[in-house]
Amino acid sequence: MKRKNNKFNKRPQNPLNKLSLFQKSDSRFSKKCPLSGKGAPAVDYKNIKLLRRYISDTDKIMPSRITSVSQNKQRKLTTEIKKAKILGLL
Amino acid sequence: MNFYEHTLIARQDLSTLELEGVENKYKDIIDKNAGKIIKVEKWGLLSFAKKIRAYNKGFYIHYKFQGESKTLEEIRKSSIIDNSLIRHLTVKYKKLDTETEYFKDKDINEKKK
Repeated sequence: MKRKNNKFNKRPQNPLNKLSLFQKSDSRFSKKCPLSGKGAPAVDYKNIKLLRRYISDTDKIMPSRITSVSQNKQRKLTTEIKKAKILGLL
Repeated sequence: MNFYEHTLIARQDLSTLELEGVENKYKDIIDKNAGKIIKVEKWGLLSFAKKIRAYNKGFYIHYKFQGESKTLEEIRKSSIIDNSLIRHLTVKYKKLDTETEYFKDKDINEKKK
């Protein structure tokens, strides 16, 4: 067993492998939710500067898999964005 | 008694006297119907993201108050009939945040994207 492990470790790694576009980067999935935790900004329909970050160019709400917002906060975001749209702010 | 926030959008072509009239009218409605005003904010003239009923801009007035279901009904009744308003929205809160004012700087609408 030991020998096999040694062989596996010594095998040279191709540096181009890491750079390839089809490989998923690890950092993307370990990203934390920007709206929860201590010191997070308040999600509110008056806080337009924050809400604009979570809206696409065509005024659609961005999916949480792109913005990495937690599920609880995403639910709040959608309701607050809709309130702001009623008032014509967004 | 619960906490509420109420925002009005008044028409752009109102004079300053008429605007004060609108502001005082809804103050009185809240006061008379078992309500208690905590704070009134004037956000001023802001431009809409989209056209609303052929209007591009409107005056925003924001109330923070304590009230009951009766007060909300009265506000809703009178604001539906009111011709000088474009839109209105009431939101219920468990705790009111009276300190932060998001619309103090007027450039907020011009910085858009």
